[in-house]
Amino acid sequence: MVAVKQTVEHVESLEAYKHGFITDIDQEFAPKGLNADIVRFISAKKDEPEWMLQWRLEAFERWLAMEEPTWAKVNFPRIDYQDAYYYAAPKTKDGPKSLDEVDPELLATYAKLGIPLKEQEVLAGVQGAPKYAVDAVFDSVSVVTTFKKELAAVGVIFCSMSEAIREHPELVKKYLGSVVPTSDNYFACLNSAVFSDGSFVYVPPGVRCPMELSTYFRINAAESGQFERTLIIVDKGAYVSYLEGCTAPMRDENQLHAAVVELVALEDAEIKYSTVQNWYPGDPKTGKGGIYNFVTKRADCRGDRSKVSWTQVETGSAVTWKYPSCVLRGNDSSGEFYSIAVTNGFQQADTGTKMIHLGANTKSRIISKGISAGKSSNTYRGLVSAHPKAKGARNFTQCDSLLIGKECAAHTVPYVEARNGQTVFEHEATTTRLSEDQLFYVMQRGLNQEEAVALLVNGFVKDVLQQLPMEFAVEAQKLVAISLEGSVG
Amino acid sequence: MSVSQAIAAGDVALLPSRRDEDWRWTDLRGLIRAMPPVSPASDRQFETGAFGEGDVLLVNGVVRGDVKALVVPAGERRTVRLRVIADTSETAHGTDLSVWVGEGAELTLLETYEGLGEGYLTETRLNLTVEADARLERVVLAADTAEAVAVSTATVALSRGSRFEQTVLTTGARRQRIETQVAHPGEGATVRMDAGYLLGGQRHADLTTAVAHEGVGGETSQLTKGIVRDQARGVFQGRIVVEKGADKTDARMGHHALILSEKAEIDAKPELLIYADDVSCAHGNTVGALDEDALFYARQRGIPDAQARAMLAEAFVGEVVDRIANDKARDVARQWVAAHLGAV
Repeated sequence: MVAVKQTVEHVESLEAYKHGFITDIDQEFAPKGLNADIVRFISAKKDEPEWMLQWRLEAFERWLAMEEPTWAKVNFPRIDYQDAYYYAAPKTKDGPKSLDEVDPELLATYAKLGIPLKEQEVLAGVQGAPKYAVDAVFDSVSVVTTFKKELAAVGVIFCSMSEAIREHPELVKKYLGSVVPTSDNYFACLNSAVFSDGSFVYVPPGVRCPMELSTYFRINAAESGQFERTLIIVDKGAYVSYLEGCTAPMRDENQLHAAVVELVALEDAEIKYSTVQNWYPGDPKTGKGGIYNFVTKRADCRGDRSKVSWTQVETGSAVTWKYPSCVLRGNDSSGEFYSIAVTNGFQQADTGTKMIHLGANTKSRIISKGISAGKSSNTYRGLVSAHPKAKGARNFTQCDSLLIGKECAAHTVPYVEARNGQTVFEHEATTTRLSEDQLFYVMQRGLNQEEAVALLVNGFVKDVLQQLPMEFAVEAQKLVAISLEGSVG
Repeated sequence: MSVSQAIAAGDVALLPSRRDEDWRWTDLRGLIRAMPPVSPASDRQFETGAFGEGDVLLVNGVVRGDVKALVVPAGERRTVRLRVIADTSETAHGTDLSVWVGEGAELTLLETYEGLGEGYLTETRLNLTVEADARLERVVLAADTAEAVAVSTATVALSRGSRFEQTVLTTGARRQRIETQVAHPGEGATVRMDAGYLLGGQRHADLTTAVAHEGVGGETSQLTKGIVRDQARGVFQGRIVVEKGADKTDARMGHHALILSEKAEIDAKPELLIYADDVSCAHGNTVGALDEDALFYARQRGIPDAQARAMLAEAFVGEVVDRIANDKARDVARQWVAAHLGAV
């Protein structure tokens, strides 16, 4: 009865949110609240040069004058920006060299997060593990970045943002805020003022980054927000694949995560950016707690023939509000967006992409799969636009929504703007529930309802899963199944 | 905020602007600097319209004759030609009219919007009620002038088993918005809502629709097709809402546009807002140029380029016209499209 045993194991593995633990570690905080002094505090903590502090203070001034937007199809109580910590960091010694030197609590945290042991060793900076560079961001700071030396040998810079500001100010000055300007939107502006850490990547001309780069974001401290800032610059003819994962503890309070990610692709460069977002989604029965994930992600295909591909698997967060976008500036540049957004319980997601065609013969492709279950709400919102100079712009969009249950909602809100006569835009969207026939067929073959749903959903999202790097695809598939646990029957 | 309110109050600040999400592509506030004076009365006699003599005339915001509302008693069948005429320049007016189609009754409403002056600002508001098992077909031909700003809004309330059909054909104006809001009870009621726009010069047309499915078993089918050239701008905003409990809803929406010049523009927002799970909803949206393969094929057969383009354009919009149920109205609509295709 191997099959039965496997089934039992599988069902047991379908536990609810399994990253919801809290790490009890000595941390230091900035005073609660938000004002210019907090901005100065963060900047000082990070030993930043004066220009960076000025940049932050200017952003803070602008933020004060802005109003929080309300246009998304999400509802949440007003955020009290004064009632949170804007800086929280574990008290650790500088730069651990071996496993023994890393705070055991941090090690235990990564072990518990289910990162494979080898990768965990890599994470802690042990030599000889497989090549998979990781930057681990724990609340407001990057605790360790691996493989820096080997990457440096080929000229790739991979480090925390704080380090980049100190070590590579010329690159940071040139590119920071050049894709997402400080006052782009309310949350990006807040991020510009108080951003703590994140990853910085620079790939020099002609270099194909020899390994996958990844960042693992973890929120741990209570009543704190995480404001990470990631900047990836890929120079002419270079290539990088970057992965991002996120988790947080289970808490009754809502925590804000307002990140900004900027990608710059120069001539013939290619960036592949994959996200598996699994922030704590809140209590599935009451909707209490969970992360507010208000993120600005944008890629600038600045050079001719550059290419950016966004792949996201969004299963976590109480409220998700994000649109990873591509500005297709270079001629013949192309952008792709592959998304799976799963909402269950009381989760709300308003996500999609923007493909802004500025250059000639630019191409974009959007595949979005939304699944809503429980009492959740899932919105695809997207913009495809072609400016007068974008002759030969081409877009294909497919948005499919799947509804599981009577009390969930799925919305599709695409915006299409074609401003020249040589544009070809195609968009199609469907909204349906799981097919009774398919369910019946699969269950007749001996699968229980939950497994049957998982199997069908897996088929539904296959197009997007295929875009993920192997390790992530397996993880993402499991995650989708877990997220839908309890949604049927 | 509405055009009628702005006209009534003489206050431009009340006009919708692109800051209003539902008017993002039809900015009136930015266009109209000062409110034009109220339109004068007109007792002129007019030549026959596209559908012939009018049964009901709305001229410069005033209903002629002793017509308070259009009423079709239960079980009866009528055809009514409604002519909405702006016989004025640089002035503003608004009109309201109610239409009631009684239980089991049938109304074919043939509407023409005719502009005789220039630079007028109007809003025409129709309140349509379709009782149980009744049927209403609207065929709307909108021929406003190039400098006009014309808004027409139809609010439609349907009942069990009723059928509502609508075909709007327009050549646009400086700014033109034709909006239809439908309250759909499900319960076997069906909706077909189509539109075609043919825009040249600097004309603009905004076809906005919203259908709210509130009950079980409703059906909606929408097809909008448009052709723009020169510096014209076509806007399509379609919203289908399926409320909680409105299961077995079947809703389809399609918008397809051809851009025939370098500087023309198409903006579209086909929305699906779904709060029920047992539904089948879909929308499709395409924007592009004339099919090169088809043109090549036509050329190969010896058809001159201009003629081939005209044929393809006519066939493209023809699909909308073909769906008109009323035979006579369909013929008139087909001629109307042929006559106006020349302009694009």
